[in-house]
Amino acid sequence: MELTVLVFLPSVAAAIVLLLPERYEGYAKWVALAGTTAALALSIQMFFAFDLNQSGFQYVERHKWVDIGGFNLQYFLGVDGLSMPLIVLTTFLTVASVLISFNITSRPRAYYACLLVLATSVLGVFCALDFLLFFLFWELELFPMFLLIAVWGSGRKEYSATKFVLYTIAGSAFMLIGILILAFNQNTFDIEKLGQSQISGTLIPVGWVFFLLFIGFAVKLPVVPLHTWLPDAHSDAPTAVSVMLAGVLLKMGGYGIIRMCVTIMPGAADDYSIWFAGIGAASVLYGAFITLRQTDVKRLVAYSSVSHMGIVLLGIGALGSTGLAGATYQMLAHGLITGLFFVVIGLMYDRTHTREIAKLGGLARQMPLIATGMVFAGFGSLGLPALAGFIAEITVFLGTFQRYEWAVLMAIFGVVLSAGYVLWMLQRVMFGPVKHEWDGLTDQKYWWEHSAVAGLAALVILLGVYPALLMDMIQPAIDTIMMRVGS
Amino acid sequence: MPFLEAVASAPSIKEEYLWAIIASPLIAWGLIVLYFRKLPKVAGYLAILGIGIACALSYLTLFNVIDADGGIAIHTHEWFTSGPLIVNLGVRIDGLSAVMLVVVTSVSLLVQIYSQGYMSGDAGYGRYFAHMCLFTMSMLGLVLADNLFMLFIFWELVGLCSYLLIGFWFHKPSAAAAAKKAFIVTRIGDLGLLAALLLIWTRAGTFQIDEIQHLALTGALSSSVITWFALGIFAGAAGKSAQFPLQVWLPDAMEGPTPVSALIHAATMVAAGVYLVARFFPVFEVSTDARHVVAWIGAITAVIAATIALVQTDFKRVLAYSTISQLGYMMLALGAFGYVAAIFHLFTHAFFKALLFLGSGSVNHSTNTFDMRKMGGLKKFMPITYWTFMIGSLSLAGIFPLAGFWSKDEILLDAWRENRALWACGAAVAFMTAFYMFRAIILTFHGEYKGGEPVDHHDEDSHFHGDPGHPHESPWVMTIPLIVLSIPAIAAGWFAYHEKFGTFISGALPEAGHEGGSSFEWGVAVTSTLLALAGIGAAYAIYQRKWVTSESLRGTFAPFAMLFENKYYMDKIYEDLFVKTIFQKGWNRLLQMNDRYVVDGIVNGSGRLTREISDRARAIQTGQLQSYGLGFVAGVVILVVAVFAANPL
Repeated sequence: MELTVLVFLPSVAAAIVLLLPERYEGYAKWVALAGTTAALALSIQMFFAFDLNQSGFQYVERHKWVDIGGFNLQYFLGVDGLSMPLIVLTTFLTVASVLISFNITSRPRAYYACLLVLATSVLGVFCALDFLLFFLFWELELFPMFLLIAVWGSGRKEYSATKFVLYTIAGSAFMLIGILILAFNQNTFDIEKLGQSQISGTLIPVGWVFFLLFIGFAVKLPVVPLHTWLPDAHSDAPTAVSVMLAGVLLKMGGYGIIRMCVTIMPGAADDYSIWFAGIGAASVLYGAFITLRQTDVKRLVAYSSVSHMGIVLLGIGALGSTGLAGATYQMLAHGLITGLFFVVIGLMYDRTHTREIAKLGGLARQMPLIATGMVFAGFGSLGLPALAGFIAEITVFLGTFQRYEWAVLMAIFGVVLSAGYVLWMLQRVMFGPVKHEWDGLTDQKYWWEHSAVAGLAALVILLGVYPALLMDMIQPAIDTIMMRVGS
Repeated sequence: MPFLEAVASAPSIKEEYLWAIIASPLIAWGLIVLYFRKLPKVAGYLAILGIGIACALSYLTLFNVIDADGGIAIHTHEWFTSGPLIVNLGVRIDGLSAVMLVVVTSVSLLVQIYSQGYMSGDAGYGRYFAHMCLFTMSMLGLVLADNLFMLFIFWELVGLCSYLLIGFWFHKPSAAAAAKKAFIVTRIGDLGLLAALLLIWTRAGTFQIDEIQHLALTGALSSSVITWFALGIFAGAAGKSAQFPLQVWLPDAMEGPTPVSALIHAATMVAAGVYLVARFFPVFEVSTDARHVVAWIGAITAVIAATIALVQTDFKRVLAYSTISQLGYMMLALGAFGYVAAIFHLFTHAFFKALLFLGSGSVNHSTNTFDMRKMGGLKKFMPITYWTFMIGSLSLAGIFPLAGFWSKDEILLDAWRENRALWACGAAVAFMTAFYMFRAIILTFHGEYKGGEPVDHHDEDSHFHGDPGHPHESPWVMTIPLIVLSIPAIAAGWFAYHEKFGTFISGALPEAGHEGGSSFEWGVAVTSTLLALAGIGAAYAIYQRKWVTSESLRGTFAPFAMLFENKYYMDKIYEDLFVKTIFQKGWNRLLQMNDRYVVDGIVNGSGRLTREISDRARAIQTGQLQSYGLGFVAGVVILVVAVFAANPL
């Protein structure tokens, strides 16, 4: 029951928000905050009640849903050590997104409703264990995302929103074919069952099925060269949507690759692993090189995400216990760090109304707290030890080095490049002589701003100094998957 | 400890005390950041308190290790695991780490006291002490780490603190740029360290320093693994210790406040590279190739930096290049089997170089400049600064019987035994060191005062209070650390120059090093002293007596002077050629164009194509039943014909 409550709590809040009469629309944010905070509290409670010694899925809910042509479509939810941390990440970032949207005045009811439905869809993706249910949640996310970017965005917002939706749908089309082929082959949409059976004798070779599913997830992660929707979507989306997009939506891709591609078709994953490692390492470098050329702060962080998601793919390519755990950790670390980055950039943008690096400069004097947040997020992004990103990156590198030494030796140059783009950006935006056109702008000062920044920063530190908190949960789930790869 | 032969007894100091050494500056940092940012005075005292406690515990630890005849104690705990990966956090105490603890905490404590005066009135006073506490904590963690993973963590954290403190006056574009440069250049070296870490875990399955040393010595690792590992370690060390070709960041790092330069960029962090190589000394002993690289990079660095120091006009940059040169000396020693000599020099250098930097800060405090052309004659205004600076310079120049004489002599002796060419580099550096230091002293303290730098009253960020027209001696909070530091600058060589120091430091190694035989030779000692005296004499002749003017010398050796003044053009090659041209305007731009026009071109193109096709296809959907019917009939006919064509009757 917990999972159903968790997944639909944000939607209930969305319904309440939509039912608010217009003169009470100012309360929309409070309803949204209450709903998301409740979801966060519930997910934290579930996180700590999660039994680390029990393998397999927990909090399972399984109901018959539709029976067509011998296919039992189920309403089947459950979590394991792979999805549980991602769920907490989602609820946490949703709260942060609501908080930093507190100054939204344009159609707040519709805005918060979209944000909350988005949360439901992402939570659904991480909980669903029936492949068709998974696909429904996967597609549900497009609707609120399109509106959030196209209505509340900036710049070429319609182009970016459309590009995002079409790109994802194109990927989903491939994924749906893959799902159907698998289901017809095994006579079930049950992900747990699919993850325990040997797939063979499919309509097309198993490797192709693998590839069909992979395309859908690779668009989301994103994998170079399927990434160009990301910088556009980020630069035109409102702050909270960027936080959700970078923080959790990208993780749906990585989660899908591990949960579906690798778990269901380990043999094919093994065949493709060298490509994962190579493309992952190439993404790290390609993303980082292009990041160095960006002139818009938000676009810069967006491209750095391409680089960081390359590390996820590299870790998956290791197809080993440590590499996969590192890839999972990287998803969580990147979600928090990049989420924080976008929050801080949003706070700055609210005040300066520009993200052009060339126009900014010297802000550390006028906005010391925002500057501190930016420096913190920057160092998180470049993988400073004692922060979450370091543990993730080094675990991936260690886990992959044995199998694909060359790929890791390529990817570690990303460590220098990330220092380059982060520190150069900080130098041009925050440091240098004071620019008097920014005089009189306020620093970070509202409680909702403080709590979003402090909450994210605290978690980034926590995951950096106490990795066992998550590793002990992720590892058993990964080991279960690895047993299939090994056999 | 299965891998350690029980030669000496393990130090009995409680593990909690060792963790407390790391924790007390960390707690001070936390308190400042959370509660006392707005109360700068309290921040300053908290920093002194936190570091003072760490200092007291460090001395306690040192005496404990001395009692144990330089034995080793390791306390380690599991931090996290991931599959086969097991990462520990632990502390390791032995002669080497005990000496480092004492150096770090002593210099840090004195620097914090000095900073109370030097930084007074600065708008970022509280932030300054917070960063200093964080730095001291990280440096202590680095020294105490019992495994490479943990060492790497603190290694990066000291880099962070260095960044924050170099860029402390971030509104100055030069400071912001120097901070960035320092972090990125050292990170290039850290790539090597990271690769070494990956390699050793993959091949040896451990990060523990003692196990790695043991595996290297017993031949359990192939020689190519050992060599690559050693070179990776050295790459990291070369970044932090500003060795050629990564030395370019350290002179720019002088943009930071001078006490920061004294602590981080002279005494402690930059010596971390030397410490790291010393920590893995058994690995370098096994790999002759790697050892030769260390020796020669050290020698090249020492010579290059000393030559650049000859022509500097900035007082602090003379000291910066001197630091690079002396770090090169230590590396040279390590490459020449001079493990004890290198650590001995690290030990003495930390004190006299910190003294020299704080002295230069004292001069700056009074004249508002580091430009030696605007100084002169300060001897009579600032006697304490002058005499303590003189002590530091004599020690650095290696004049008997000051501390620097003993440690430098040991390095030259090891170099002599290893390779005469190495020794020749070292000897040339000894001459140049004495020359540039006394050039600096004469230009700064002798002759007539040239007025300093006028205070710019429009500069809201300046915290300068005095009147550069009337220089004065610095307040006691600044002169007392100078006086205290001049004691080890004089005497650190005496109690360390002792057989026991060698065995004490060597106790950190799994087996006795190559420290056999007498460690004093009259020939080497006399030659180096004569060279140093010659350097002082030459400086005296040119700058004091002006028997030969520096201008005429510069004219005679113009090509060399150009080379030295332009720092061997390395900054230009790195920044203008590599970073700006090849990468930013070339390669990165190319990739960006590819992303915009090729990758996105295909995406947008496929969108356009779809629309085009749809537009064409729409023409068929006329809505006229007649045309649909026509199409239907035509289709049936084609199918029928096709069926008959395929299956003739």
